[in-house]
Amino acid sequence: MKKLISMLLISVLIMGLFTGCGSSTDSAKGGNAEPSTELNIYMWQQYISDDLIVEFEKDNNAKVNLSYMSDNADAITKLTAGGGQEYDLIMTCDAYMESLVEGGYVEKINFENIPNAKNINESYWTAKEYCVPYLMNYIYIVYNKDTSPVEIKSYNDLINPALKGQIASIDGARNLFPIALVALGYDPNSINENEIAEAYEWLVKYNDNVVAYGNAEQNLTNGTASVAFTYDGNASWAMSELGDKNNLVIADFEKDPVQLGFDLYVVPKGARHVDLAEKFLNYITDPEVMAANLVEYPYSCPNDAAVEAASDDYKNDPARDFAYKENVFFQKDVGNVITIYNDYYQKLKVGE
Amino acid sequence: MQKNTFKRKTLPSLAMAGPVSLWMILFVTLPMLYIIYISFMSRGVFGDVVYKFSLESYETLLDSTYFKVILKSIKAAFVTTVLCILIGYPFAYYIAKKPKEVASKLIMLIMIPFWTNSLMRLNSWLLLFQTSGPVNNFLLSTGFIDTPMSFVYTDGLVMVGMITNMLPFAVLPMYSSIEKLSRSLLEASADLGASGRTTFFNITLPLTFPGIFSSIILVFIPSLGIYTVTDMLGGGKVLYIGNIIKNQFGSIRNWPLGAALSVLLIVITGLLIYIYTRFAKIEDMEVL
Repeated sequence: MKKLISMLLISVLIMGLFTGCGSSTDSAKGGNAEPSTELNIYMWQQYISDDLIVEFEKDNNAKVNLSYMSDNADAITKLTAGGGQEYDLIMTCDAYMESLVEGGYVEKINFENIPNAKNINESYWTAKEYCVPYLMNYIYIVYNKDTSPVEIKSYNDLINPALKGQIASIDGARNLFPIALVALGYDPNSINENEIAEAYEWLVKYNDNVVAYGNAEQNLTNGTASVAFTYDGNASWAMSELGDKNNLVIADFEKDPVQLGFDLYVVPKGARHVDLAEKFLNYITDPEVMAANLVEYPYSCPNDAAVEAASDDYKNDPARDFAYKENVFFQKDVGNVITIYNDYYQKLKVGE
Repeated sequence: MQKNTFKRKTLPSLAMAGPVSLWMILFVTLPMLYIIYISFMSRGVFGDVVYKFSLESYETLLDSTYFKVILKSIKAAFVTTVLCILIGYPFAYYIAKKPKEVASKLIMLIMIPFWTNSLMRLNSWLLLFQTSGPVNNFLLSTGFIDTPMSFVYTDGLVMVGMITNMLPFAVLPMYSSIEKLSRSLLEASADLGASGRTTFFNITLPLTFPGIFSSIILVFIPSLGIYTVTDMLGGGKVLYIGNIIKNQFGSIRNWPLGAALSVLLIVITGLLIYIYTRFAKIEDMEVL
């Protein structure tokens, strides 16, 4: 009897080992006849209103499963490793689109089923057949006009030694190197190693002035930093957090362009609930829906009709009130040169 | 006869050790072999792994940058370990000398903070010490300082974070070691006229060495690989080997290099355990 019990226990234990491995195959394959009832989305956390998701679920009698990434690279990993098995929509950004299309990792989107896509401003829309832009980010400089020792008008002002330990900065090779390259007068997506090496030298000085990478908005509002190199959405948060006492201003750039990036949805190759994914994309590009989303997440938005329909608070947000909105550059795929960037980035962080 | 031995000897040990071994093979050995395998592959344009043999990752490791990082990480892990032992030993000693009921409560006190996620704990350090945080406000209001001190994103706060994260791993093995120490030995020592100090250095310390050694292993190895503390409390400005590995698998997307770095970390760990076995029998290692 004891033996029997122990054998049973072992088999239960062994079975337990494999429980995580099974895949849910209950969903409708093809989905031509029956509409899908399940939609799996992989995207940034804190980036879409829960209420809108609930409404979509109710309207379509479906269940939306949101999973979250912690890094842009996660999404690329999912996409290149056959993401269609797990997800129907994956969020990524404009910089990767070219390679994703080239590598055949994303499905062409049938825009006949997404009439609301016409609301999106075409001028910024890369790889138009393969993605639907969602929100966008300017990466610019904001500073505290009372505590910053320097009035910032260009990237070169950031390496002023007076700013030592004052800058809260976003991180990542492909965010940091472009501003150095622009400051030095080069192409922000340079593939010339000498230029990148020069940019590295510039960033060494910049790094001296940085107090911390990440958490820029908190560090601005709690006084740890007086300058931030960050996204306009985060600056908006910091400004509204300070409310009437807001003393943050957007750097008044005269010449230097700022980086503009898009977060967009793609349908991974082999996605299983394409019909519902299209319905979702049409839903989220609806001006009223997006306008409601912007109340909760006041980021810059490429959906012109939604911006038109948005609240006055959104339209008058000081974080989006700057003159050089047209003077932007985009992050482009640099191919294998990325390893050169990464090597210098690592060297920068390790410190010589 | 054959069958009988199987039933009497093999089956019970298989039943006992089987599941654990299977577990270890599936979740420790296989992933480790996979990491070693990946480390000999090459990186694709996309940051994907191209299954073509290459020693490139190991050649990259020879770059002085990585050497510096490893040296820096070992130094930080070493300081953490020394401080954890210095703080942990008296603490463990104090607990071990208390009656059983009190001791178990004190042990609980060490464990309770660890019911909270470590990222939460790290974040609370940031909130406490930030420029407009309670600590600075208190110091300002009591007039100790005129301008807020910058505690956050300094090496000091990183060290505080490391120590608070690692202390239980130092205290617990030393506690069990000190607690096992026979009272009669100490009494005998005192009877023979040894001072408290002599007894401590000649009896207590040598006999609790296995505990100290396991504490060193248990603190040093995780501190070497940890990256959350430096990421959060160091403001991402200081990179240790853990951060570099994380970046290779994350934003930089060079898995073979990340794997090669992990292999290096495994080798360092293995070396440490080897050194340990030279000093003490592995069976002596205090486990709870």
